[in-house]
Amino acid sequence: MPKMITEQNLRLLIDTLVNGGARVVGPKQAGAMTLYEPLTTGDELVLDQLPRRSAKETFFPVCETILSFERKEGKTTVQDVDVCAVPETVLIGARPCDAAAPGILDAVFSWDYKDEFFLERRRKTTIIGLACTKADDACFCTAVGLSPADMKGSDLFLTPLEGGGYACEAPTEKGERLMARHPKLFSDTDSAKPLPLGEPAVEKLDLKKIKAWLDGNFESPLWNGIADRCAGCGACAFLCPVCHCFDINDEGTADKGERRKHWDACGFGKFTNHASGHNPRDIQNKRYRNRIMHKFKYYDDKFGQTLCTGCGRCIRNCPVGIDIYEVIEEIHRKGTGD
Amino acid sequence: MNNTAQKLETATPLDTSCYAAVTDAIRKEASRILTDGTVTAVVGYKAGRRAGTTMPAIVTDPAKATELIFSPACVNNLALYLTKAKKDVVKKGRVAIVAKGCDMRALAGLMGESQLKREEIFIIGVVCAGVKGSGAVNGEPLTTGNLARKCRECTVHTPEGADLTAGTLPSLPELTPVEAEEMARLDAMTPAERWAFWKEQFSRCVRCMACRQVCPFCYCEQCLCDKNRPQAVESTPRPAGNMAWHIVRAMHLAGRCAGCAECERVCPMDIPLNLLNRKMALEMKELYGFEAGLTPVEKGPLAEYKDNDDQSFIK
Repeated sequence: MPKMITEQNLRLLIDTLVNGGARVVGPKQAGAMTLYEPLTTGDELVLDQLPRRSAKETFFPVCETILSFERKEGKTTVQDVDVCAVPETVLIGARPCDAAAPGILDAVFSWDYKDEFFLERRRKTTIIGLACTKADDACFCTAVGLSPADMKGSDLFLTPLEGGGYACEAPTEKGERLMARHPKLFSDTDSAKPLPLGEPAVEKLDLKKIKAWLDGNFESPLWNGIADRCAGCGACAFLCPVCHCFDINDEGTADKGERRKHWDACGFGKFTNHASGHNPRDIQNKRYRNRIMHKFKYYDDKFGQTLCTGCGRCIRNCPVGIDIYEVIEEIHRKGTGD
Repeated sequence: MNNTAQKLETATPLDTSCYAAVTDAIRKEASRILTDGTVTAVVGYKAGRRAGTTMPAIVTDPAKATELIFSPACVNNLALYLTKAKKDVVKKGRVAIVAKGCDMRALAGLMGESQLKREEIFIIGVVCAGVKGSGAVNGEPLTTGNLARKCRECTVHTPEGADLTAGTLPSLPELTPVEAEEMARLDAMTPAERWAFWKEQFSRCVRCMACRQVCPFCYCEQCLCDKNRPQAVESTPRPAGNMAWHIVRAMHLAGRCAGCAECERVCPMDIPLNLLNRKMALEMKELYGFEAGLTPVEKGPLAEYKDNDDQSFIK
């Protein structure tokens, strides 16, 4: 028998989890927008809009300390951060474009080097995804192989129902365990009708064709002028659910300080600046080409996946109106030979 | 980006009928000056893929002049593209720029800082009834509810000093100065309350640097805040570094900021940065009787030393 949870019980679930000592992260109002933030009660959950920043920070924070150092009487001590101190976490209310992202990032964070900070949070987090009933003109998840009802990455998946409440499915064991621990909050259902999904008004693109074109066109004239107007900020990368570049900085004084890992962006002018002063990506067009190549070719070459979930945040928030869907649609057209 | 206050007022439509004529005039002039060789490029706006959106465009082919438009979505201050930060984009030669009254102030400021020469640019001034603020829905008409905050207090709907001014200004309603009211609210706070206000605002900053990158006056080739050997300002998005960055930004722009509020518009975290800019501008006016960007002046008050300068602050 399919299960469902009422709106009230969903909030009660959050209260129960919080009271049980878990960290519960979900969309919370912050001024005019929402952000994925730790919730203290179920009432704080706001599900009617896509949070401004993606859910990646639940696993890969904007900034985190990876070690600290201190020099006393000529002796330096280095203190590692205890990654096991990461609390059990439930990420709730992630739409398919956000819920799918951490799974895509597993590949890069567990490749040659195992990033324990990311991986420990992944191990300790259960993701409750939410089917998307609202798409705007920047959404394009269906163009890159996802859909408003895609359960990819979710441990438990909620589908809003007509008349309130959510149908629940548990595609993973983690999700099943979560449901099993709170049996009273879920009930049986057989007739509830799901709300219509928010389908983006875009074409379904063949990602293989995009990649095939990118494979042979590093020097294409398409790149000339592709991002002349780009201001070189990191808004696109920082809001992106799957952009994962980071920088490491030692901060503090010579006697005491921390080594910190924080988000970086390939749109920044100094991102590839060499110590010699040479910068192989010396103009914005080359930086934007890298953005596209990394998302639709390099990540596929290395890990067999596409580094874009079609959330549309980069489109919505680009100061100069750069539209990644428009770019990949054009590449798709070229790749199809139209 | 903060549109909460604006929602208090009932939204009434604004007369934007002039935008069609402005668009026409821009296209005609752009085509003419590109064809006869007056300029090598026109920096203007063209429509985006999504209905009702626009983006900056650099047009060099007269046949493409018809792509240029002007609408309430033409929010960008295009002066950015004439700075040395963009020197690889706009090639040599005289360049034309589409400028709203507010953008003209940035051009004047850049001339004052010897970044631009008047004779090297051709200004297509546009009359402007206002542009959209953040949170406005693409495609919906311009109203008193979705108007950008800065436009509510605009005194330069018709630009002066352009080579050509396109369009005729419709009559516009008197609007409550939402941003000035917010400034007054902050001014009435105790320093501790104000500190708490900004601390909370800056806590959201992720250091995407969009505020810096769109600013026509942030053209330094080496920003102090990017330096790491030695580090001058913590570059990680944490409370101390965020606070330092935003104070450095505001101070470095004091007496220079032309008030286009692009920094605030582009902030993905909705930090009301223009409140800081305006506070600095107010201080400059009170201390030196100076307003940035009114006319190109060779040196602003903070870039000039006089023997009789007030030095009482040195203690």
